[in-house]
Amino acid sequence: MDLIRDVLDKQLVDRRERRMGKIDGLIVEIEAGKPPRVAAIEQGAATLARRLHPRLVRWVEAIGARLYGAAPGGPERIPWEKVKDVGIDVEVDMDVADSRLYAWQEWLRQKLIGRIPGGKP
Amino acid sequence: MKKVFEIALGIVTSIGGFLEVGSLATAVQAGAAFRFQLIWAILLGTLCLIFLVEMAGRFAAVSKHTVTDAIRERFGSNFFLVVFVGITLVDLLVLGAEIGGVSFALQLVTGVSLRWWALPVAFAVWLLLWKGTFGMIEKGASLLGLITLCLVVGAVLLHPPWREVAAGAVPSLPHGERAHYWFLVVSILGASISPYLFFFYSAGAIEDRWDESYLGTNRAVSGLGMSFGALVAVAALVVAAGSFGARGLHQIDSYDQISLLLVPVLGRWGFWLFAASLGIACFGAALEIGLEIAYRSAQGFGWNWGEDLKPAEDAGFAAVYTVALFVAALFTVVGIAPLKLTIFSMVLTAVSLPLSVVPFLLLMNDESYVGEHKNGRLSNAVVLFVVALSFLLALVSIPLEIAAG
Amino acid sequence: MKELRLELRLELLLGRRILDREGKPIGRIEEICAEPQGKDLRVTEYLVGERALLERLAVRQALGLVGLAGRRGGYRVRWDQLDLGDPARPRLCCEVEDLETLE
Repeated sequence: MDLIRDVLDKQLVDRRERRMGKIDGLIVEIEAGKPPRVAAIEQGAATLARRLHPRLVRWVEAIGARLYGAAPGGPERIPWEKVKDVGIDVEVDMDVADSRLYAWQEWLRQKLIGRIPGGKP
Repeated sequence: MKKVFEIALGIVTSIGGFLEVGSLATAVQAGAAFRFQLIWAILLGTLCLIFLVEMAGRFAAVSKHTVTDAIRERFGSNFFLVVFVGITLVDLLVLGAEIGGVSFALQLVTGVSLRWWALPVAFAVWLLLWKGTFGMIEKGASLLGLITLCLVVGAVLLHPPWREVAAGAVPSLPHGERAHYWFLVVSILGASISPYLFFFYSAGAIEDRWDESYLGTNRAVSGLGMSFGALVAVAALVVAAGSFGARGLHQIDSYDQISLLLVPVLGRWGFWLFAASLGIACFGAALEIGLEIAYRSAQGFGWNWGEDLKPAEDAGFAAVYTVALFVAALFTVVGIAPLKLTIFSMVLTAVSLPLSVVPFLLLMNDESYVGEHKNGRLSNAVVLFVVALSFLLALVSIPLEIAAG
Repeated sequence: MKELRLELRLELLLGRRILDREGKPIGRIEEICAEPQGKDLRVTEYLVGERALLERLAVRQALGLVGLAGRRGGYRVRWDQLDLGDPARPRLCCEVEDLETLE
């Protein structure tokens, strides 16, 4: 498996094939004497920002904290064990409703979309 | 039989959806300033567009990805973000110009200043996106857009010297006003090859669930649809040559002047038909661009997307077009002259073409996405040539045009 | 004794310059290959090329469009041949001669 070509930036879908964002980052664990282990998938604006330039991360996190009080505890990580299949999309054994992307879209629903007639689910 | 109907519908919607504020304004300016000499620019731009649109359809049908999706996956988030920001900024300007176009049409009809119309127009576009489905929007707006065929009628009734019109299809060098000539070439190319058109086409192919069996349909729709659509733009140029150029009006600076385009040939009807054509064509384009900006955001960041979904199901997607429409309306609200906004956004499109087209071309040659359906050398060559031409011409002629005032 | 575990971001390794034991750059990380081992997915090797970022941007393919494919240089670096103690400056643990080359 080519991690850059086949995994990074791929579409993530949940167990019912609903879209869950992209794979913005991959966390790898290094133990002495063993091959590095792919530990987790990371998602979030901060992860993307860091790829552009490390200084952008604090900026992005500050905006996030201002907007919806996200505790700066780091972006959401999905343990690699939850990955079921790597194909055109990467399928994880989760429900989109439990993902951080969903929480962000939920925030949008409350603050903006839901306030407009026809925007309530 | 179903495919034949789909081809026919696709062609008709392409004709109706082809003309928008950019192709109209640039064609009119070209006709007034240089009579039939710049018809070749419209044809060249359309040729390139045909290749790009066919590629976009082929890409979506075969790879089951949209172009935006694939750009992020293949080239990474950093490159994608650069392309995203660049194209979205240009899109916002073009969207602003389209809203300006509809607002101006309403000003023509009601006498109320276009600055008052911008936000209501943006709201109307938003409402259709909020409530409508993809099929309804794509087909409805384009079918209504067939009213722009009045320009073809006008061109024919004008009895222009058809041999001179045909001669204009061949590239020629200007006799005078060289800087202005090439500047117009750039703006026409930018107007003809709007990236949002082929990005939108690929999203549409996914929404309509095209697969490999649609490749023939795709070729027919893109080839014939865009070709006939270009005829409308050429017609606008021909009418402008007769209505303006032949009467000594060579410099078109405002939409007020353009509004009289069809009057000499169609009388009072010409005024109303022009207003309706402008309003409807721009409204349709605004719908497409609004959708396209939202598509690009959702596809690039992996959100849920789809015009047929309810806004609550794709909150990010809905939020993007809401904000985009509001921002784009502001250009007209604050009083930026709509014709200037239009020409500026067309030229900027020409400059930024490499940013969207080059990654797309690379994808079209990547077997892991399109398999055996990858581009032939002709497609690559034509597109590369026109895009490089647009970019270089833009670099050269923009400073010259600014210097000329 | 608790085992030391280092956490690394893979997406930041892309394009990083790899230095040999003397500190001389030998190329940039183009790709990271992994294979399932047991229930884990583990990194097996790094593909190092002379033009890593350009590879991602498919410059070779672009040149190919116009008929000018270039030579592909580079190395296959096994996971145990790369020291990622300082992720910003990956270093070889072996000699350059010991590396497998890419054709």
